[in-house]
Amino acid sequence: MSDMALNTAALPGDAGVQTLRAQAAEVFARTGLPGRRDEDWKYTDISRISATLGEAWWSPTPSELSETDFSGIEGLDAYRIVFVGGEFLPEQSDIPEGVTLQSLSALLADDADERSHCLFRLDESAPLFNGFLAANSALASDGLCACIGANVKLDKPLYMVHIGNSTSHILNGLMLGQGAEATLIEHFVGGDSNSAGLNNIATYLRLADNAGLTHYRLQMEGTKQFHIGRVEVKQAGNSRYTLHAVELGASLSRADIVVNLAETGASCDLNGLFVASGRQHIDHHTRIDHNAPYCRSRESYRTVLDGRAHAVFNGKIVVAEGAVKTDSAQSNGNLLLSRNAEIDTKPELEIYNDDVKCAHGVTVGQLDEDQLFYLKSRGLSEEEARQLLTFAFADEVLVGMDSKLIRRFIEQAAFSKLPNMSDLEGFLE
Amino acid sequence: MNNLKQTSRQANNPDIKPEEFANQEYETGFVTDIEADTLPPGLNEDVIRHISAKKNEPEWLLNWRLEAFRHWLTMTEPHWAHVNYQPIDFQAISYFSAPKSKDDGPKSLDEVDPKLVETYEKLGIPLREQEMLAGVAVDAVFDSVSVATTFKGKLKEAGVIFCPISEAVREYPELVQQYMGSVVPTSDNFYAALNSAVFTDGSFVYIPRGVRCPMELSTYFRINAMNTGQFERTLIIADEGAYVSYLEGCTAPQRDENQLHAAVVELVALDDAQIKYSTVQNWYPGDENGVGGIYNFVTKRADCRGDRAKVSWTQVETGSAITWKYPSCILRGDDSVGEFYSVALTKMRQEADTGTKMIHLGKRTKSTIVSKGIAAGHGQQAYRGLVKIGKGAEDARNYTQCDSLLIGDTCGAHTFPYVEVKNPSATMEHEATTSKIGEDQLFYCQSRGISEEDAVNMIVNGFCKDVFNELPMEFAVEANRLMEVSLEGAVG
Repeated sequence: MSDMALNTAALPGDAGVQTLRAQAAEVFARTGLPGRRDEDWKYTDISRISATLGEAWWSPTPSELSETDFSGIEGLDAYRIVFVGGEFLPEQSDIPEGVTLQSLSALLADDADERSHCLFRLDESAPLFNGFLAANSALASDGLCACIGANVKLDKPLYMVHIGNSTSHILNGLMLGQGAEATLIEHFVGGDSNSAGLNNIATYLRLADNAGLTHYRLQMEGTKQFHIGRVEVKQAGNSRYTLHAVELGASLSRADIVVNLAETGASCDLNGLFVASGRQHIDHHTRIDHNAPYCRSRESYRTVLDGRAHAVFNGKIVVAEGAVKTDSAQSNGNLLLSRNAEIDTKPELEIYNDDVKCAHGVTVGQLDEDQLFYLKSRGLSEEEARQLLTFAFADEVLVGMDSKLIRRFIEQAAFSKLPNMSDLEGFLE
Repeated sequence: MNNLKQTSRQANNPDIKPEEFANQEYETGFVTDIEADTLPPGLNEDVIRHISAKKNEPEWLLNWRLEAFRHWLTMTEPHWAHVNYQPIDFQAISYFSAPKSKDDGPKSLDEVDPKLVETYEKLGIPLREQEMLAGVAVDAVFDSVSVATTFKGKLKEAGVIFCPISEAVREYPELVQQYMGSVVPTSDNFYAALNSAVFTDGSFVYIPRGVRCPMELSTYFRINAMNTGQFERTLIIADEGAYVSYLEGCTAPQRDENQLHAAVVELVALDDAQIKYSTVQNWYPGDENGVGGIYNFVTKRADCRGDRAKVSWTQVETGSAITWKYPSCILRGDDSVGEFYSVALTKMRQEADTGTKMIHLGKRTKSTIVSKGIAAGHGQQAYRGLVKIGKGAEDARNYTQCDSLLIGDTCGAHTFPYVEVKNPSATMEHEATTSKIGEDQLFYCQSRGISEEDAVNMIVNGFCKDVFNELPMEFAVEANRLMEVSLEGAVG
């Protein structure tokens, strides 16, 4: 497998990091990339990545875009942390007080700092582990490393914006101390340019007791871009984690969301919205491990597909033997607007304990004839009625967003992707 | 939706001991000592030739078997199911075992080995009184050869063919050749290929055009000789407008060695035909430590080839150490309907990975899946299903409900539903819940003067009712009794 050899020699980091990089490269050479014979990649064919980017698809490339190509979410008051082509731009960024915040590149430049080691350490037995994660560990050179101190409540969201249409490997780590509260926005943007790359990004989140994190993950990459993401969350007692994952962009986007409810009373909410058209392929694999008593999880994903889009949702919930009083619910709704769209969904439950309340539901369908009739009887045209119902279907997972501003921004972006949705502008006010 | 509330029943009611329920001994465990004409263990082409020769099979079938065997050699055993078991040594199994009787076979029940009849009577199968009592024709399979067939005459009058498959091979070769392997090809999967190579018996049913089968057809399977795998092959064909209800019931004597059962069941429904296939499976599940017990790796598939065809699978699975079974429907014809109703109970160290596949290809096809799993003791239970809606399946409709009831804190219940939709006009719903018996429900019943045991029975019965309602009457009674017997140890 010499063609899968990653060159980690020139990358930053002390001797410890270099060793971990070399190990990751070795894992990558051994495991290679997942194929469709792997159960977790059954519906996602990644061959189009190497077909587009060439054999050494992992090699970082410079971005053609710059920070001026994107103005951000209008009116959003936040601490901006800007990455262009996978590289942190300190002069464009705005670091809040009370937070130890560093770019990964700065951290790696400091040989005395060994905190970076834990980010690079690979656990091959982790759920949904795959070759992309190994490549990330071997090649990541930048990202964000932040610790939010105990009981610090950030007044404004951390707004991480990734601009670019290049190949880069980004590694983020965010730790919240006891009772800390924060909002993290990860925003991936790229233009409609002809060049393409792969954004391979891993984000590790650690929540100490009673910490609370709201995480927006807005994937709006350029239409030719590939996006492979992993979010790994570990939650201590009574911590709360809320994810709003929105998938609008990229040619192929896959995200693995792995949540470990490790201690008593932890809770998580995962909300997802996919709006895909053209030949887009969107895939989310989520896994929630209930490893302690009295944990709660809620998961709600909605998918709207047009054109020849193909979406995959795999939601797995595992309740361990001692995790009594588990309360878990999952729902997945799918709306197909076109004859050529395809949805593959699999809500899985694995339960090793009788003191649980678990439920999941999936629906695939079209717009309800009765509801259409009702709206038409109120004077809306067929087209308007369809738009309104499609909007209402998708919007249901956005209702939980704390930030009205982000919600409006997503609504605009999502519905501008679908045909004739512009008439709906009036409803968005 | 079942809204059983979760409570810590065990903590508050020391009287209820799930482990007792879980360790319920197997009731029908006894071995009948009959001299069997058994091949030495091992599998090679000579064994297949021997089986084929023993059964006086035509050459095409021998070639078909050998082809399947050669393909099987290239395959590897599947391991994706959520079950754990000792690896199977396929060379340690004897592939042929026939009860020794007169070479020509019995002409009537009187000629049947009295010990066989005795065994059936112990099990409560009134073989002699079938005609009078139950009105059911029984094609009884004792190990690998059908020993008695009743009601031939009455069925012949209606034009229905119901006979052992080995007889069908000789008497109706054109039908067998046309349909066998057309639903489950020899290369379909590891166990189907093995079955194709070595199957020794099973039932063949053909219902001619427009005929409604005058009675319910039934086969009782029974594994008896030591170390013989049971490789049944059942083929049921319902021609245009025909109707048949087929019952399959299983029970096996207690023993300590794991036995492999890899059956293949193929159903073909042509235009407007309807097939109802019901199973009560109560094979030996092994003891409380997981020693012994049957490995039940079955391929069951129905092909709704015609328009408006309907196939309904109903199963009650309480036995076997390992169950690995997915009765499926290929809904090829327009407006065809597939149904799957299942109750599975795993206790002690039993493991079940079961479910269904509904492949919607025709327009306006409908499918319903209702699966109820009950896990107790160290039992592991998995529902694994696939609902696939093809591009051409306009206005297809699926409803799926799978619920699990957990008794005790060492059991497990798992759900793996695959949904693949390629047509926007499809409507598909899937719903699953997992919970334990609600303490408030128990309390309510007890406050009305109902004993704890009866209350648990009632709750479980209510939980399974949707499925039991689908069983033919005789089976519904048996299923109810089976659940009650199993639940007896659950309380007090």
